[in-house]
Amino acid sequence: MIGLPILTLIVFTPLLGALLLAFVNRKNESVMRQGALVVSLVTLLLSLVMLVAFEPQNPGYQFEENSSWSETLGIRYHLGLDGISVLLVLLTTFSMPLVLLSTWRAVTDRVKEYQIALLVLQAGMLGAFVALDLILFYLFWEAMLIPMYFIVGIWGGKQRIKAAWTFFIYTMVGSLLMFVAILYIRSHTGTFDLPEVLRQLRSDPIDEGIQRWLFAAFALSFAIKVPIFPLHSWLPLAHVQAPTAGSVVLAGVLLKMGTYGFIRFGIPLFPGAAVWATPFICWLAVIGIIYGALLAWRQSDIKKLVAYSSVSHLGYVVLGIFLFRTSGESSQLISEGMIGAIIQMVNHGLSTGMLFLLIGIIYERRHTREIDNFGGIAKVMPVYSTFFIIATLSSIGLPGLNGFVGEFLILKGSFTANPLFGALAATGVILGAVYMLMLCRRFLFGPVIHQENAQLPDVSTREVIYLVPLVVMMVWIGLFSKSFTDLISPTVHHYLQNLL
Amino acid sequence: MTLEFTEAEIRAILPSAILFLTGLVQLLTDACLGARDPEGDRGQKSHLVLTGAAGSVLAFIALGALTDPSAPLFSGALTGDLLGRFAAGIIIVTTLLTGLGAGGYLGAIGRNRGEFHALLSFGAGAMVLLAQSANLVAMFVAVETLSLALYVLAGYVRDWRESSEGAFKYFVMGAFSSGFLLLGMAFLYGGSGGGIDLAALGGHGDEPLIAVGAVLVLIGLGFKVGAVPFHSWVPDVYQGTPMLAAGWMAVAVKVCCFVALIRIILATGGNTVVASLVEALAVVTILLGNLAALNQTNLKRMLAYSGIAHTGYLMVPLVLVLASHGDGAALSGSLFYLATYLVTTLAAFTALSTLQQGDRDCDTIDSIRGLGRKHPVVALVITLSMVSLAGIPLTAGFMGKFTIFSDAVAGGKWHLALIGVIGSMISVYYYLRPIVAMYFHEALEETEKAEAAWGLHLAMLLLSVGILYLGLFPESIVSLSRGAVPLLAGH
Repeated sequence: MIGLPILTLIVFTPLLGALLLAFVNRKNESVMRQGALVVSLVTLLLSLVMLVAFEPQNPGYQFEENSSWSETLGIRYHLGLDGISVLLVLLTTFSMPLVLLSTWRAVTDRVKEYQIALLVLQAGMLGAFVALDLILFYLFWEAMLIPMYFIVGIWGGKQRIKAAWTFFIYTMVGSLLMFVAILYIRSHTGTFDLPEVLRQLRSDPIDEGIQRWLFAAFALSFAIKVPIFPLHSWLPLAHVQAPTAGSVVLAGVLLKMGTYGFIRFGIPLFPGAAVWATPFICWLAVIGIIYGALLAWRQSDIKKLVAYSSVSHLGYVVLGIFLFRTSGESSQLISEGMIGAIIQMVNHGLSTGMLFLLIGIIYERRHTREIDNFGGIAKVMPVYSTFFIIATLSSIGLPGLNGFVGEFLILKGSFTANPLFGALAATGVILGAVYMLMLCRRFLFGPVIHQENAQLPDVSTREVIYLVPLVVMMVWIGLFSKSFTDLISPTVHHYLQNLL
Repeated sequence: MTLEFTEAEIRAILPSAILFLTGLVQLLTDACLGARDPEGDRGQKSHLVLTGAAGSVLAFIALGALTDPSAPLFSGALTGDLLGRFAAGIIIVTTLLTGLGAGGYLGAIGRNRGEFHALLSFGAGAMVLLAQSANLVAMFVAVETLSLALYVLAGYVRDWRESSEGAFKYFVMGAFSSGFLLLGMAFLYGGSGGGIDLAALGGHGDEPLIAVGAVLVLIGLGFKVGAVPFHSWVPDVYQGTPMLAAGWMAVAVKVCCFVALIRIILATGGNTVVASLVEALAVVTILLGNLAALNQTNLKRMLAYSGIAHTGYLMVPLVLVLASHGDGAALSGSLFYLATYLVTTLAAFTALSTLQQGDRDCDTIDSIRGLGRKHPVVALVITLSMVSLAGIPLTAGFMGKFTIFSDAVAGGKWHLALIGVIGSMISVYYYLRPIVAMYFHEALEETEKAEAAWGLHLAMLLLSVGILYLGLFPESIVSLSRGAVPLLAGH
């Protein structure tokens, strides 16, 4: 392996960049924008180097860095990457340059703080994906909260303050309970180090009754982040009020923290309780899939529609994760669901991220997001409409695009595990197609009703630059899905075998 | 009778002696030079600031010269143990940073007079003595001496209505609590058969007089540290006290009185009545402090209630020690927490001290609206301290809560950790309000910033570095606090 502490470099490059930007004169807005972009590109480059060095067949942690941080407090600086997190890290580094490009013109107020907040947010997300010490993870987990809070609260829409509050309070309540649970694990095992904790729990498991409480604390924190029904009410608010970049990061990466947390921490730390809670969580996931889809159908605001579709899509991911065994006496482990869930996290990041970017583009031109104010956009902005349709098709899981792969795997897993869930989830797929295609019809097609729309300029070169990479990735994952699942499956197989 | 002091005794008294002397020098210099200052009470009076800083630095160095912690000093009145030294260190650093800012702050509100600087030094000297006291008489004398300095500082700005009100309230309540303290000490004296040394109080665990005495002392010192239900004076007093002095009071008083409380409670053996009383007080203080802070619109009052809540967190390790029958290890949590509390709380008060509206403190939430745009650096420091007060990671406040809660869970008192966490959840709401006002709203009122106040800026910088340093690299101070505890558990 390469001799560099590559994970540390990836996590701290954005932070270092933010620190350097802090010393740039705030009047130099273009330097600020270009600087942040360069930093995010360097981070992307580093993560690509990491991908090249990544060994897909190795199911364990790679690029591990493990040193003591505070001896007396027992906190370790332990980073590592495996098949579960590799794509998520790449998703994060891949989306940040696009996000920065997308707000090149949209944000003109306090540009300095804005770029710094985004870079700090990125560092927090990357850190959370590679941390292998419970406290370290918690630190990064909480550290993401502050920049996101400011992004929504300063650069958001009319109700930004309420949205920022709700977002912060919801997330904080969840994570503090998780914090107590982490402390309990420490008092039981004597360490915060995840691999070490898991080793000890295998020989000396926590009592099942207490396990359930601890799992509940972790699950609450993750479920709020995902969000799982009925904890989703902060999401549409935050999404709609956040500036485009905020929505993209929120949908693209931040929501995956919750599902990632279930895979990395929730289930392996408390396998007994996780199995016990599986039916409950699966039902909530299925309700979320259908309820989210129905709500999305009823929205008149495009951004809100996509926000509710996130609730529905993340429901699949949760369902996929928790269908890791068949029900009944002879329980078998199924890996399709979890592999599909991980792929679906990436897909959702790409397709929903792109939809939010596109909504941002039209909002910059028209300053409205009401579907009724549009119609016939395809005639005025043909290139834009093509991008929009590609993103829609990816979102509803058209074969040949990325969305299909994840959905297919999750549905296959759920039919094996529990046909009822499979059938219900499939209903969600149909509903998803219905509301997204209806959106396309009302938004893009038909006659140009409103005169304001007749003169809208089509996408600019800058906008094409950040949209094309997304399309490339969608097609790539859609056509060559095996090269992506191959990164994940050895780790997932190994993970499931060690679970019970 | 001739007085002869051993070298160890001189070394032990040196830090507070230096502080008292510094106060005298400041008072005399101001008497001689003050009248000649062309700017009068509006100047920075950097000579007083530098004298104070030099005194604090010397006192801090003198702390390192303490030797032989076990030997009785001044016939048992003082001790040179690490607990006292750790607390004294925190007090001296607090005083140093407050003193640094004092010149610029007082100049900006047009009330830069020598006695403020001198009172800080005198008060700090008495606080250091209290932290080092090992018998009841020394403790009481130290408590009264430091209280005198505090009463005057609380009423320092005579023409603010809140100031006179606060000072009067403080004086009455303070005298009242001293009464409890003294009565408690009398009971302890009687119960132990005439011992004034703390060491002599042990071994009478079943004696009811000792238990009653311990409870009375708990009430007396509970007033001073601001534990619920003895807290009602705190917000009123803070509101009337000049911003910078309020920060000093919030930190330094809490440190020395808390150490005295620890010493007495542990020396009396901590029977079950006292143990459950302390636990109940901790729970009530955490919850009520945080709840009462929720709808404060005055920043000083909000910080006062937040300080009350932090007293509750501080008491959690004491509960653990009492429950584990004297294994003092958990107390290091309190000591480390005090260090994190120092940087966090003082940073908030210091940053707010740079802002004025006319000759008044800028102490309402409305008055800091839009600060993020007008004075980004001050806003950033306030944000940092609020985030740290709320216990959000990468700051000192998180590490402090982390040590306390993790000790609580490890000690089997996980419900205390849970209550602490619930308190933290509540606190997030009110700590975010200043941040919302500063960044999410546009300015409402005119505020000026004391631009020329070099000392305030230096203190602000040091405190911000402190918040991040303790949040990222807690190791050094944590191990120092661990080292400061074992000698205490000798009973």
